[in-house]
Amino acid sequence: MSLRYRAISWNPQKRRYDAVMAASSGLYLALFVGVSAFTNPNATIETLLIRAFGTAALLLLHVILLIGPLCRLQPRFLPLLYNRRHLGVTTFVMGLAHGGFALFQFHALGDTNPLVSLLISNRRFDSLANFPFQPLGFIALVILFLMAATSHDFWLKQLSPVMWKRLHMLVYAAYALLIAHVALGVLQAETNPLLAGVLAAGMIVVLTVHLLAAQREHAMDKQPFETGFVAVCALGEIPEKRARVISLNGERIAVFKHDGKLSALSNVCQHQNGPLGEGRIVDGCVTCPWHGYQYLPETGVSPPPFKERVATYRVKLIDGVVYVNPEPVGQDGILSYTPSV
Amino acid sequence: MNPTEDEPFYIGYQPQPPVGLRRWLRIVIVALLALAISTALLLAFTFRRLPLSVFEFGVEREYVGVIRAQPYPLLLIKRDDRLEQFWLVGSGKHAADVNAFVGQSVKLRGTLITRDGLRMLEINSSTIKRLNHASAEALPTESLGRFTFVGEIVDSKCYLGVMNPGHTKPHRECAVRCISGGVPPLFLAHDSQGQAIALQLADAQGEPLSKEVLDFVAEPIEITGEVSRQGEWLTLRANPDTYTRK
Repeated sequence: MSLRYRAISWNPQKRRYDAVMAASSGLYLALFVGVSAFTNPNATIETLLIRAFGTAALLLLHVILLIGPLCRLQPRFLPLLYNRRHLGVTTFVMGLAHGGFALFQFHALGDTNPLVSLLISNRRFDSLANFPFQPLGFIALVILFLMAATSHDFWLKQLSPVMWKRLHMLVYAAYALLIAHVALGVLQAETNPLLAGVLAAGMIVVLTVHLLAAQREHAMDKQPFETGFVAVCALGEIPEKRARVISLNGERIAVFKHDGKLSALSNVCQHQNGPLGEGRIVDGCVTCPWHGYQYLPETGVSPPPFKERVATYRVKLIDGVVYVNPEPVGQDGILSYTPSV
Repeated sequence: MNPTEDEPFYIGYQPQPPVGLRRWLRIVIVALLALAISTALLLAFTFRRLPLSVFEFGVEREYVGVIRAQPYPLLLIKRDDRLEQFWLVGSGKHAADVNAFVGQSVKLRGTLITRDGLRMLEINSSTIKRLNHASAEALPTESLGRFTFVGEIVDSKCYLGVMNPGHTKPHRECAVRCISGGVPPLFLAHDSQGQAIALQLADAQGEPLSKEVLDFVAEPIEITGEVSRQGEWLTLRANPDTYTRK
């Protein structure tokens, strides 16, 4: 958490994250171009660079799309999520290099403005096999640009978390456009079925992991509408300084147990909608597992000087059973109990 | 997800990840590097091997010959008793501006583009110098008859070497731009024995084609027309409105 906006609030783990990202990306580009120069000695360097940057961007996008659901299924993947926005910006830069080289190569130095040429040179909208694939990649790149440009917390604040999240969910539209871009473009010319197989395998992995995570989430939300206090779990089911997440009337609520107290807060972090209930009580604060945003369990307010706030809920403990009222309250969602109960 | 075990808790802004996660993170990093390496190698070995074509980018040589338009601009160079022929194109995706020199002996500077024995020069028209001797060199035209071919229209400049690959769908937009700019359209087909064959396209009267063929570029089409040979090159004459998509 930081009070002032900085271009990048560097810390040791971000540096390590970016070092691994840069090493992996650089290794990929160098290997692809270097090995292709031997396996395909007649290919021009422009062609190799276009292919290297394009495939690198698509590979990175697969990794980005997998991080979210993998974290839902196995919290040990959370370190990958912490600096995911740098992965997103890198993906855009790779895509921009791919698109820039391709735009110059295929459209520049001609009788038409390159960007106009990109949109008008192929008009076979009536044929799937001949469908213009380059504009699909261009639209995907525009989406990736919007996401990269607004990835900073400054824009999260300006746009509101809800709008920001909606904008960044467009990553799935970009992914679909890029799959179509590849399937209707290079795969129409390359005859080795392994290439189509690699693309299909990537899609299947992304889809499967999303479905597994969605199934888990859906099962959690499948609850009838309730009024008044609702029994949610036994006290013993909540580990100390951790939470149990319940879903009441469509809202996820995290019930934390800490230092002889129970607190119920909205499960949705105000920063990027991270799952607070999968966090911990650290230094007396509920700490989001995604980026470490913190809230006081008693009030749902971030410790001063921060001003973020999440909803809190009333809690009861009767005969070792925890009850929560799904109606949010202001600052009185705290219940003390005797830890020995 | 609700807690079932005592997992280490990661906070990104702390100096170090929790001890219980460090081994796991090392495994994840190795897995990511392995993913990058294996994908790069797999793709590098999977893309089809491209045939040899040459563009001597940055290398300009001097050529002396006669400029003709048959129907596209070309330079005929007499070497020993043979006439060598080079298509002439301009820089970028443009035709060579040689109208003022057709039929004349000239000296010019150009960059060689070549594939499968077909040759082309990228020239800057400002380098063309008229020579003071007359020249009668011209390619005889030999009519070969009427044929039907199935193939793909490409732009000759990219196909012969400026880009590789310079054909098939990924190159369509570029071929459209090149042909639109005046680069001669080339038809890649196979003869009855399955041999690859490249024919320059002209209309039924033998006039050059440009924007008329743009909608047919880089997709399978069938063309029936008169085929003639001029030196090393074949020309297929047919009006674009008779082209049919396959």
